[in-house]
Amino acid sequence: LTGGVAVLPAPQNLTVLSINMKHLLMWNPVAQPREPVLYSVEYQGEYESLYMSHIWIPSSRCSPTNSLECDVTDDITATVPYNFRVRALLGSQTSAWSTLERPFNRNSTVLMAPRMEVTEHGLHLVVKLEDPGPQFEFLVVYWRREPGATEHVKVVKSRDTPVHIETMEPGAMYCVKAQAWVKAIGRHSTFSQTQCVEMQGEPL
Amino acid sequence: EFRFGPCRVEGVVLSELWEAFWAVKNTLQTQDNITSVQLLKPQVLQDVSDAESCYLVHSLLKFYLNTVFKNYHNKIAKVKILKSFSSLANNFIVIVSKLQPSKEKDMLSISERAHRRFLLFRRTFKQMGTEAALVKAVGEVDILLTWMQKFYQL
Repeated sequence: LTGGVAVLPAPQNLTVLSINMKHLLMWNPVAQPREPVLYSVEYQGEYESLYMSHIWIPSSRCSPTNSLECDVTDDITATVPYNFRVRALLGSQTSAWSTLERPFNRNSTVLMAPRMEVTEHGLHLVVKLEDPGPQFEFLVVYWRREPGATEHVKVVKSRDTPVHIETMEPGAMYCVKAQAWVKAIGRHSTFSQTQCVEMQGEPL
Repeated sequence: EFRFGPCRVEGVVLSELWEAFWAVKNTLQTQDNITSVQLLKPQVLQDVSDAESCYLVHSLLKFYLNTVFKNYHNKIAKVKILKSFSSLANNFIVIVSKLQPSKEKDMLSISERAHRRFLLFRRTFKQMGTEAALVKAVGEVDILLTWMQKFYQL
């Protein structure tokens, strides 16, 4: 209470969960018995915090929101530290701002090994890769399973899957693995599990 | 990545810059009614050698960060423009932070040539009234990005 007037508490424990360049800001709820509480999210990049720290920009998706999380992926468009703040809204009441403890930089996102499906179609290896977004490219590595095999590498943009890899020899076994690469942050994921497929037909 | 001569810059996706500018291009360029003046005129950006490019882009982007964006900010009414400026400015910060223009003596004549180009740009900017110059400089970000694109490798 302040001067006998109930003060709306600020949201606590702001954190960012970032996987595959999807960034989710989360916070604890503000408990209020009667009415639903709304929340408003704002951000500033390194430029704003360096050159004009009074400038905060309303988040694209959560100004306001009744959720306890906010997808801030579209707000983060540079590989620099971003500050975030959240406040609660209840009727005409607004809480103080609660600010993310440490600025978030998208280069800390967790990059998962890509999900991959390898099939054979008329002596072609067909590699289907999940599409996590336009920022992603894939390194597809494939080889013929035999002693001393040479690895071949193909760089694929996320929109260009499934990938048809050139003609293979009938009856031979081919193996494939892939990793994701994000240019904007200069990082790649671990490799996916290797998958092997036998080509139809009698060996030459 | 960008390759301004010996200077390399990773971690900036040029399409993100274009996206930010296209979102506000019409709003910005309709504010500029002085069509007889161009800040980023051919003498500034034409026939820039690779060696000069690192010096010139460093000077231009720092000017945009320290002068243009900073002073144009209080003219911004719409949130959409605020977001675009934030995207441009924060990516310009990444580029500037990664550029390391050489200070070697044998590069002096090249850096001076680049500096003369920049001075020409800044002199034209100063000759205009501040407000008009800010509006024009912001509206010419597409000229700047088009020139920077020549040094961008996919």
